[in-house]
Amino acid sequence: MKAYITANGIISPQHTHDATGLPGHFETRISNRLTCIEPDYRTLINPILLRRMPRILKMGLASSQLCINRSGNIQPDAIIVGTGLGCLHNLEQFLTEMLSNNEHITSVLPFINSTHNAVASQIAMLLKNHNYNVTYCHRGFSFESACLDALMHLAEKHAEHILVGGIDECTEDFMNLHGYLEYWKHPVDTLGLLNNKTTGTIAGEGSAFFMLSRESGNNASIALRGVHTFVTSDDAPAHEIVSEIDYFIQDKGLHQDCLDLVILGMNGDVRYDKIYDYLRQSYFTGKTGFAVYKPLCGEYYTSSAFALWLATVVLNQQMVPAPVCLSPAAPVMIKNVMIYNHIRNVEHTLMLVTADG
Amino acid sequence: MPQRVFVTGVGIISATGNGTGENLASFYDLRTGIGNLSHLASVHSHIPVAEVNQSNEGLAEIAGADLTEGKYSRNTLLALIASQQAFADAGSPDLSGRRTGIIFATTTGGMDLNERYYKSLLQEGTFKDYIPFFDSADCTERIASYFGVRHNITTISTACSSSANAIMHGVRMIRNHNVHRILVGGADAITRFTLNGFLALEIVSPTGCRPFDQFRNGLTIGEGAAALMLESEEMADPSRIICEITGYANVNEAYHQTSSSADGMGAMMAMQQALEIAGLHDHDISYINAHGTGTEINDLSEGRAIEHVFQGGIPPVSSTKAFTGHTLGAAGAVEAVFAVLSIRHQIILPGINCLNPMPELTFRPPASVLKAVVNHVISNSFGFGGNNTSLIFSKA
Repeated sequence: MKAYITANGIISPQHTHDATGLPGHFETRISNRLTCIEPDYRTLINPILLRRMPRILKMGLASSQLCINRSGNIQPDAIIVGTGLGCLHNLEQFLTEMLSNNEHITSVLPFINSTHNAVASQIAMLLKNHNYNVTYCHRGFSFESACLDALMHLAEKHAEHILVGGIDECTEDFMNLHGYLEYWKHPVDTLGLLNNKTTGTIAGEGSAFFMLSRESGNNASIALRGVHTFVTSDDAPAHEIVSEIDYFIQDKGLHQDCLDLVILGMNGDVRYDKIYDYLRQSYFTGKTGFAVYKPLCGEYYTSSAFALWLATVVLNQQMVPAPVCLSPAAPVMIKNVMIYNHIRNVEHTLMLVTADG
Repeated sequence: MPQRVFVTGVGIISATGNGTGENLASFYDLRTGIGNLSHLASVHSHIPVAEVNQSNEGLAEIAGADLTEGKYSRNTLLALIASQQAFADAGSPDLSGRRTGIIFATTTGGMDLNERYYKSLLQEGTFKDYIPFFDSADCTERIASYFGVRHNITTISTACSSSANAIMHGVRMIRNHNVHRILVGGADAITRFTLNGFLALEIVSPTGCRPFDQFRNGLTIGEGAAALMLESEEMADPSRIICEITGYANVNEAYHQTSSSADGMGAMMAMQQALEIAGLHDHDISYINAHGTGTEINDLSEGRAIEHVFQGGIPPVSSTKAFTGHTLGAAGAVEAVFAVLSIRHQIILPGINCLNPMPELTFRPPASVLKAVVNHVISNSFGFGGNNTSLIFSKA
């Protein structure tokens, strides 16, 4: 089963919300955290609703609305969201009030909004959409689980269009807490993230929605062909990962030579980037080009949704932007793109995106 | 052709007991699990809850987990216990390879650890080793690691319908030939976060919940975990088959973030679509295990939906939440296990605390366990965000 990617809407640390293809330039800054460049929400969401709306809901509703607009106002047959941590800021707000006020709660709104499925259900409410509505919250698998569910829906023959999204927000507390676990680098030039051969990475966030459709649209011929997820121990030997990649590629009727571009989830953390280096040097042949994406969006659980967006624009425009291209020369013709990401060597995910014809 | 999906093993730990035997005994004895908080320290200790009667140390002992070696949230301990039971009940089947998986569900995951250590973590950075166990995925990944499952692992979080959706996802994974054997379930521990949230919403009963009673006054927070082993027709050992899952549907009411509509439109659509998928008619259903939280609005809305869908005659309806409390993210799985037990033992489960049936409805829950021919059972689970799921369990 494949799903045509017929529209997208994405809010990220880059100028993506107002661009239909690659933005004119890429943002960089000296930091260990990338935050989203947000649109003027009033153009996308009823201002009355906006007033008390948490930021993650604004990001989710606006990017899904952008996607719906670009799809020609399709009412999706299902709304499926992946989010590693859900509405984290609301959860922290409620937790903090509860802990500081000895369980005396003055505002219930953060509790209501802290529910992991708040984004998906608010989208349904805005669209008055009564269809299937599910939220996956499993770290680095969250977005891929949503995509797999969408592919199953299309295979089950009662769906034409599925709205799928990946969304996570970064918060102060999250930065501080995970700083203790040595997740972050000292501030770096973010676009040059991979030049810093040290431990840690940069935190990121984003909200990316896609319309996955059974039929290709008028000008869309880019399709998600499959996803594959697996866990390993964090010290798994390279051959374990290689055997899963082999399996995935063969299962899709391809050979590793058929991959024109592989988008890698390298995040600049020397503890975890080794497998990517191994694959580039020892697994793929000279025919495959490589790109990265985390210098653009940072590290977060649903960053692969950003990678999927990058894959679609690369296939559309047939070019790999220089700042994220790892190969001396980008491939001439790009037809088959694979995304490989892992979270601290434990959750590994693969996605295959191809252009027809 | 889609594969048929069979339940070959179940496991449960709730306020009404550890294992299917203790839970069944509670139904026969009409013994509720609702009582006072004893294992969680909270200023709201006067509020009745349905707590699993074990300390974390006690749970760890049952689960065979070493608390000095590893760090476990209460949620993960509960989930491990239920999963071990389901695995054993299914005859300890092979879970290796790419065609097996684990789908679990929760609303708050490792929140008990989070709320215990959050302050000191932010202030001093102490207890940082607990951070990785705060989230919703930890529980699923630990169960997967325990059973050596490496593929098809994920976690669903859709409020109080979470684990019903995990079961539905597992069924669809088999029907779509992605897996041939999958462990599905859900878990939630009572936490101060949850208790305070529902108290602030003003939908917690001060006396203990009374589903479908005219004078019902809110829900009772419960805790627990339940798991089901699902296997494809090809893989299932016929002697292990307990029942089949034939129908499932998830719809969104798109009405209100925390409330259901008075006419029960979402509940109605979920039950109707599940019947359609199963190829069954309303008169085929032998028993409805209702969501039945005991809040004013849920029971009215769900009751009306049941009356609308079952116009040809309403089968026995009960909510087992008067026994187990509302186990939130675990509720869909806990009540799925009850639906399975209803078929396995050919019984209808009672609904207690309904002394004055609702005048708006024509049915009242049976007051004790009834022997009956049980062919098909509907289990309803509804959650915040208008998330409504119905599952149908059928005699195989």
